[in-house]
Amino acid sequence: MVTAAGTAFLPRARLDALLDLLREGGRTVIGPTVRDGMVVLDKIATVADLPVGWRDVQAPGRYRLSDGHGDRVFDIVNGQMSWKQFIFPPRQKVGEMKRSAADGSVSFQPSAPDPSRLAFIGVRACELAALGIHDRVLAGGTFVDEDYRARRDAALVVAVQCTRSASGCFCTSMGTGPEVRSGHDLVLTELDDGFVVNAGSSAGERLLARLPGRLATPGEEASVSAAVAATRAAIGDPVATNGLRDRLMDQLDSPRWAQVADRCLACTNCTMVCPTCFCTSTSIGSDLDGTVNVTERVWDSCFNPGFAKVAGGDFRPRREDRYRQWLTHKFATWVDQFGTSGCVGCGRCVTWCPVGIDVREELAAIAPPALPVERPFIRPAAATPGRFEITTLRASHPETADTATLTLVPSEPALLAGLPGQFVMVDLPGFPAFPISVSRYATDHLLLTVRGAGPATAALLNTPIGGQIGLRGPLGTGWPVDRALGRDVVIVAGGIGLAPLRPVVDTLLAEQGRFGKILLAYGARTPADRLFTSELTAWAERGMEVLQIVDRSGPGWAGHVGVVTNLLDQRDLGSRPTIAFVCGPERMMQATTSVLRDAGVSRERLFVSLERHMQCGIGLCGHCQMGPFFVCRDGPVFALTELGDLFTREGI
Amino acid sequence: MVATRLPRVGVVKLASCDGCQLTLLDLEDELIAIGQRFDLVEFPEATSRRSMGPYDVLLVEGSVSTPEQAEQIVDLRARTKLLVTIGACATAGGIQALRNWSNEPEWRASVYPRPEEIASLATSTPVAEHVTVDAELRGCPIDPHQLLELLTALRVGRRPQLPDEAVCAECKRLGRICVLVAGGTACLGPVTQVGCGALCPAYLRGCYACFGPRDAANTISLAGWLGQDRTAVEVDRLFAGFTGYAPAFREASRRAVEVMQPPARRRRSKGKTT
Amino acid sequence: MALPGAAARWHGWVVTAGGSLATRLGSTWFGAGLSSHARERLAALAELREVDPGAVLLREGADTERFGVLLRGLLALRVAVAGRGTATLMTVEPGDIFGWSAAVPPYRATSTVVALETSEVLLLEAGALRGLLRDDEALALTLYPRLLESVSRRLTATRTQLLDLYARDREYEPW
Repeated sequence: MVTAAGTAFLPRARLDALLDLLREGGRTVIGPTVRDGMVVLDKIATVADLPVGWRDVQAPGRYRLSDGHGDRVFDIVNGQMSWKQFIFPPRQKVGEMKRSAADGSVSFQPSAPDPSRLAFIGVRACELAALGIHDRVLAGGTFVDEDYRARRDAALVVAVQCTRSASGCFCTSMGTGPEVRSGHDLVLTELDDGFVVNAGSSAGERLLARLPGRLATPGEEASVSAAVAATRAAIGDPVATNGLRDRLMDQLDSPRWAQVADRCLACTNCTMVCPTCFCTSTSIGSDLDGTVNVTERVWDSCFNPGFAKVAGGDFRPRREDRYRQWLTHKFATWVDQFGTSGCVGCGRCVTWCPVGIDVREELAAIAPPALPVERPFIRPAAATPGRFEITTLRASHPETADTATLTLVPSEPALLAGLPGQFVMVDLPGFPAFPISVSRYATDHLLLTVRGAGPATAALLNTPIGGQIGLRGPLGTGWPVDRALGRDVVIVAGGIGLAPLRPVVDTLLAEQGRFGKILLAYGARTPADRLFTSELTAWAERGMEVLQIVDRSGPGWAGHVGVVTNLLDQRDLGSRPTIAFVCGPERMMQATTSVLRDAGVSRERLFVSLERHMQCGIGLCGHCQMGPFFVCRDGPVFALTELGDLFTREGI
Repeated sequence: MVATRLPRVGVVKLASCDGCQLTLLDLEDELIAIGQRFDLVEFPEATSRRSMGPYDVLLVEGSVSTPEQAEQIVDLRARTKLLVTIGACATAGGIQALRNWSNEPEWRASVYPRPEEIASLATSTPVAEHVTVDAELRGCPIDPHQLLELLTALRVGRRPQLPDEAVCAECKRLGRICVLVAGGTACLGPVTQVGCGALCPAYLRGCYACFGPRDAANTISLAGWLGQDRTAVEVDRLFAGFTGYAPAFREASRRAVEVMQPPARRRRSKGKTT
Repeated sequence: MALPGAAARWHGWVVTAGGSLATRLGSTWFGAGLSSHARERLAALAELREVDPGAVLLREGADTERFGVLLRGLLALRVAVAGRGTATLMTVEPGDIFGWSAAVPPYRATSTVVALETSEVLLLEAGALRGLLRDDEALALTLYPRLLESVSRRLTATRTQLLDLYARDREYEPW
């Protein structure tokens, strides 16, 4: 960014002085110039060669230039080709391999790197980022492309901060611009009268010291910030990049790949114009006898048919395979390989695609951002501490030796409008409030399944029929059942964890046709400790797969014995899109989610319900904090992707 | 090629303009070297030597257009080890394949006073529809470098490097302006096999698809895109060029007529359905 | 399914016709982790049997007579507890093994294995298994790790069972 110290102002009329300085020492200055209705990067002799007064208008599959827009030099955003062609040329001789006709001996002669001294003027922030990416890819690993290294080291870079953007730009989303931060020798920002100039390296500082001009005024520096900020605002934030790598890799089976492949021509234009693509092939030019073989490195593309072929077959025979390879490499696996995204958001692939395929649209369609941010919010009843809604106990039904299900009739209907997975805070006068998950919603009552674990819950269970109980809620986040539409659902419950999951089963069975296969794996301590035993049978009769397992066998039990993960760890749950809801003791949830992950369920579709000490239930008392979350307010239902490694961490 | 003797090479033509054979002669700098390494036993355009075979390599130019040629090509195949078709006529039927969509007897009658004396097939078809072809050199005419690469590959023993990529790849490597995106000019480059060095875009013309469709070219998508600013007839014409009879272009042409035009103005297409 | 006229039906044992045993073995969890060479050799010596509920496949404390892979059904592992009778420790799910002690000294069954449902099992006589492991190094190299993995899974599950997670044991219950 432009800073106070050493910021110069170069009048418009003196731009040629900069070009002269750049040319010193035999450098060739390369910059944008207009030719045949397009902006190309070529030798710049004078300022007149630059695209003065030209503007570009870009759209998917469409590029138009027009002139007569005043005397600005850098109103053009970008053209078809990037600076890649100069430091990583399309055709580059690698060497010569000779075979003697006389005695069959072989020799090779590698080509020497070409350190032609170039100066680039007009490098945008996104293009600077692309140069940085190529530095990592081609010269930042164990093996270095010597020719690239030589050309890159010999090039001087004069960057330009964008004061205009094109419709395809999304540098903001990719974190690469429009501000120029590093990697440049000099950076210019064009104002009406001239250019504010900053140095970004010692070479740049030396040049800056010799430029005619003066120090920039504070007003001019402010204009620079304003201009770049305006560019940023114009671009907006077109691509949701949060978690994009994982989202994209979770969608390898999306039907959208085939849909975009129907439009894609596999013509390689996107990869050729991309400033970060680097795939090449070797081409051999031989004389008729094969005695002198010149090898060239030639730009290739993963879209080309033979790219992934071996003698046994083609690894990516279909266009959709190749489109998927390109998009996932650029936005996902590049991160694993090189530590950053491979895309800089320059928008060239959008403009120069002959049929106007827009990667931003494809990303949004294939890997939409995770939903957790948008939770439906239903205003709970009596959310203010100190108040509660009065409910009447209509019935109590024992489930196990220490657990019963209470039927409560509220006068406040908001209590019945909750989501599966939400809880209520139970207020009994004289006792601290405690959270209980709602185990069923009905038209005029709700059910709470309560285990007598201490004095307060015991008091609740001892309430006589007709007695009154205070409730606040429903509170917290619910199970995202809408995410299960069209998918297979795996519900894993441990012990009393089946209670908050029962409303999910109610919802799924109420509209069974809208969901895929439903599996319930239920683990309990002993057969006598199982909840809702008659319903388990009824659910199985409705077509759900209901598997039950107990830690300890009991009399007459001829079913599964062991831990609940035994029922899951040999299943293949990855071949169809599957969503999983897990509730039980936290250690059981950890083991279960781990097994479900291995079985093929993606982390974005794995949900757990956490329990913490709650007192207020509305995120004001601080007790239920876990990392950045208040479990009562941001949970208790969380996606595994939200929790990250918090989930398995002790002492959080 | 096992070399105790020089490989016997023949160059023959069916229905064609001779331009592809001429490309071999255009390799002026290499011609003597070629002649020293290959035994050109049959090449009417270049030498009076005659041979009926057998051939180690036979370069066949031209499409099968007459009953005589249909028999000739089968005969030649039987006497050839490696049959290489060269040019748009031999690989796709050529420009003369446009008659495949028409009523050929009518045409014949309208051109010749005694049409019954002309022995012509109703269609002009690529050689591959009659015999097995071992290798193809596309183009109208073929590219001399590709021809040289084929001959060199035969000598060295490697697979010839004939990339099946779009003209766009070469255009971009050469830094040519994209006439389609930047000019709105119709260009078939994205669906056409490279080989000409992206010649026409260098002169700001759209590609005519001389080298024919690439393998699995998505002509339907391109036709749809081009059809946004053009009538169905115009799109149909774009694909009905030197290699218009190639299956991918045929299909795009047919779709342009059937899909993009309302039924009332549908053009009668004879013969070729599917 | 009982074959009509099958000789000497003994408490549920019936011989059923074998299919491609190596393929069926490969479709189980246990078999999927072996080399194809191992699967072929095991399948060559194995027998496919269908057993009725109640059939006893191994007896606790006795020499392990056989090693098996459960293809279909449910098996219980039981131990005798003085004063309590027998307790079922865990059930073996399809794809998993029983009788691993056939490969590990002292070659005595650590529990009684009983079929709870009609089950299909792939059986290998203990001596034959030990012979294979002794003579075929390539097979041993893939079989021992897989056996170890199965026993490890079982140990981890057992430890979790020991933790008695569903029990009411938390001291800090405030309510």
